[in-house]
Amino acid sequence: MKISTKKKTDVIFTEIILIIMSFIFVLPLILAVTMSLQPAKSVFSFPPKFFPTGFHWQNYLVAFRTVPFVRLLLNSTIVAIMVTVGKLITGTLAGYAFANFKFFGKNFGFSFLFATLFLPAELIMIVPLFSIMAKFGWVNTYWALTIPFMASATNTFILRQHFLMIPKELEDSARIDGAGPMAYFIKILLPLSKSMIGGVSIINFIYAWNFYLWPLIITMEDRMKTVQVGVKMLIDAEGASNWGVIMAGTVSAVIPTLLVFFILQPLFVKSLTRSGIKG
Amino acid sequence: MKRIIFITLLIMLLLTSSLAFAADKVEVQFWHAMGGWRIELLQEMANDFMALHPDINVDVQYTGSYGDTINKLNVAIQSNVAPHIVQGYDIATQMLIDGEIAVPMQDLIDADPEFDIGTFMPQVLNYYRVNGKLYCMPFNSSNAVMFYNRTLFEKAGLDPNKPPKTYKELYEYSKMLTTKDDKGNVEQAGVCWNLHCWFFEEFMAKQNAALVDNNNGRTGRPTKAIFNSDAGLKVFNMWNDLSKDGYMINTKVHDWTGSRNLFISQKVAMLITSTSDVALMVKSAEENDFELGSAFMPIPADAETGGVVIGGGSLWIVAGKPEEETKAAWEFVKFMAESAQQIKWHTGTGYFPVRKDAVEDLLAKGYYSESPHNLTTIMQLLLSTQNYNSNGAIIGAFAEVRNAVESNVQKMLNGDMTPEEALAAAEKDCTDAIREYEGL
Amino acid sequence: MKKWTPYFLLVPTFIIIVLFIYIPAGFSLRTSLYRVLPFGRGMQFIAFRNFIRLFSDVDYIYSVKFTIVYVVITVSITILLSFLIATQLIKKVPGVRLFRTLIFAPYAVSPAIAGALWTFMLNPVVGHISYFFQRTFGIQVEWLTSKPHAFYAIVFASVWKILPFDMIFYIASIQNVPGEMLESAKIEGAGVMQRTWKIIFPLVSPITFYLVIMNIVVTMFSSFAIIDVMTKGGPGQFTTNMIYRMYLDGFYFQKQGVASAQSIILIAVMIVVTLIYFKFGERHVHYQ
Repeated sequence: MKISTKKKTDVIFTEIILIIMSFIFVLPLILAVTMSLQPAKSVFSFPPKFFPTGFHWQNYLVAFRTVPFVRLLLNSTIVAIMVTVGKLITGTLAGYAFANFKFFGKNFGFSFLFATLFLPAELIMIVPLFSIMAKFGWVNTYWALTIPFMASATNTFILRQHFLMIPKELEDSARIDGAGPMAYFIKILLPLSKSMIGGVSIINFIYAWNFYLWPLIITMEDRMKTVQVGVKMLIDAEGASNWGVIMAGTVSAVIPTLLVFFILQPLFVKSLTRSGIKG
Repeated sequence: MKRIIFITLLIMLLLTSSLAFAADKVEVQFWHAMGGWRIELLQEMANDFMALHPDINVDVQYTGSYGDTINKLNVAIQSNVAPHIVQGYDIATQMLIDGEIAVPMQDLIDADPEFDIGTFMPQVLNYYRVNGKLYCMPFNSSNAVMFYNRTLFEKAGLDPNKPPKTYKELYEYSKMLTTKDDKGNVEQAGVCWNLHCWFFEEFMAKQNAALVDNNNGRTGRPTKAIFNSDAGLKVFNMWNDLSKDGYMINTKVHDWTGSRNLFISQKVAMLITSTSDVALMVKSAEENDFELGSAFMPIPADAETGGVVIGGGSLWIVAGKPEEETKAAWEFVKFMAESAQQIKWHTGTGYFPVRKDAVEDLLAKGYYSESPHNLTTIMQLLLSTQNYNSNGAIIGAFAEVRNAVESNVQKMLNGDMTPEEALAAAEKDCTDAIREYEGL
Repeated sequence: MKKWTPYFLLVPTFIIIVLFIYIPAGFSLRTSLYRVLPFGRGMQFIAFRNFIRLFSDVDYIYSVKFTIVYVVITVSITILLSFLIATQLIKKVPGVRLFRTLIFAPYAVSPAIAGALWTFMLNPVVGHISYFFQRTFGIQVEWLTSKPHAFYAIVFASVWKILPFDMIFYIASIQNVPGEMLESAKIEGAGVMQRTWKIIFPLVSPITFYLVIMNIVVTMFSSFAIIDVMTKGGPGQFTTNMIYRMYLDGFYFQKQGVASAQSIILIAVMIVVTLIYFKFGERHVHYQ
């Protein structure tokens, strides 16, 4: 019985820490939700409110009327999924190459890929990249929004690290069984990396979901814009904006990502009975 | 048999209507930076235009903030996919001219005998005329104005019919309007304006002082900043004194929302902001139970009388398009500059109507007696002395100039520099920026 | 045939990065040797003048120093905090799935909106956090407009934003630590702190190794959005780091040549940092 009391205090201790941390982390979003439910005149008040008084859902209506949010959410979803899938494919293949093979130019290739981390598209190459898109005829298309971002040094690096952690004996025994490298990759390596792949998918999805600058520049029609551009459309920098409406737009833009995260969690958090970590 | 005839007629009807659609519509793309509810308003105005011109299709696109829009324009121009009309903001004027991307509006005006530039307000035209030539069509113009809380004035024992006119009065009034709690924290301050170089420019123009040489860049390209003058020092001293004594609340750079917020929640008694905020202030005062007052920007007691400078944006027609598209774009720009549209835009947003006849119409309708604060703003503009200083500075590197001023003001407000030092440093930084831009 | 396998595996990645990253980057970086006229109307070759100007600019030197301080502090806090939180988030306690989602929330919000929300809360007079501070401690702080508070605000917002990223990977990899090791350590009398720092942390070091460099990159390259919204690099350029400086020069001031020069310097710095990191860091990584 001593064990169960200790366990109980452990649980309570953990719960308290998690509640405090969650509160701090989600604080701004609580504010966003609160503001989104206030009519214009009570969005700013003193003393500042944290929890909504009233339920002025009309803000959402206005937001969706001013900006074609439904379409934009669809666009963002398509773009985010395409980019994620692309990054996963290139990342797993490349990570496998760097982790399990020895070949000429390996170090150079790795550095060459790694260096792309230092070349953020949005900051230094908008003009020439746009030019290339124009030459391909991809301006204002899903291709322009996705393909340039389908390679990922991040994914490659993470997956390489993960693949390195997998014991070599597995590979050797697969080879003895007559499996070629691609068979090993598909049948053994990938299934073992589900949690990592789940984790990177979420990261990739959200990274693509949060694109603002590039979609703003490369799209020429409302129907191709993405959701972050949509939220910006609600803000008038100099003029007086209705922050309740802006927050309604923000909340609408954020909810899908949180849903994705909530649903995909089991992918990268293995059921605890199997791995047996109780800390 | 009847059914076959019916279906055939239906098909013919569809074919002819699709032929009507297929009839060549001239496409005009219009990029703007007006977010929020203004998107709908602009679309409505475009729809009105298209109803009058069924052969022209105007595609209205919000392209981000003013800065974002310039960026997008920059990228698009270099890949030849620029729009026909773009809304450029005031300080990008020289840069847009230097980029040689536009068909000068003057050329189109000269070629169109119907268009009477004389109906436009000289105050607005003077800003956008560079070397005697009008490059763009004024569209959304604003000034700086001071709003004040008459209720709080009364509470502090001040006469609400006598808003502060001089810097000294501003200081004295702010002192009386500031309340602090027992720990010395400010509960209510006298005055606020967001930390934006625009206010410095307005303060200077009201004192008839120049920012850069060559008559504010209007009679020749600017080579240096010259605002380290008596006038400049008066502004910096006023700003610094109000700040360090706690009678003014300083927001972060460009925090329009923050400063409005403070005034609306009655944490400050006086707010200097853009004239485009009139409608918001009127509504907020009502909703928060205080009486609103409006006044001209203050000037030092011994200063020369100057005027206010135009802010906001204008419409530029991009060059290099097929002639019929440029013609269509010109029709749209003319439409947006018509009195009816200017009145619609003004009442829907708060930017000035840029034409005399629009003001006349509004006056006749009794608009200004119902809307005293709009009267204040238009009067401040109309009573402005017109000279190079109130016409505003024309600087290619204006964005960097503003940043330099704001940065040094912040250093002054933080106590790192005295007003003299900050002013001198700002002038030097601005001169450097100008020289770099001009290739000196 | 088998010899070519690794090369085939790399083809998709390399096509994309050469075509869409290296080629455009090459063009951009070339402009660092030029003075670019407005709207690309023309380019004047000025060789290294952009670089010379930058190195003799006091403000630029400051931004380099500030970048180092900012990155070191932000990354250290993020790594340690995310690791500790992750150790709690893998436990099977009620509501853990919800907690994970809530702690993850910052990552799902775009930096611009995150910055705007923090700005509201940090408004010195009507902001929520300021109100809290005033009621409990009786002090009024100008969070975003005074030194050094602006720095704390930026670091806090950056850690807040990046931490969930690290947390996910720590969660995924802590689970791979063999349970038996921890059980036997417990039996031998090792306390929670010892088990955490002497067993779990070293065993996830491959991920830590990766996360540190990734955090350095992310803090370097995406901080401009947060800084732009919260402090605009102020007060008086106090919170201007190299990337924000570059953003200002490239986007606000339209000085393409100068911005390109800055990006070259930035890349050079990153390459040096990475080389050093890989050389000395990999020694401390414990692979199984």
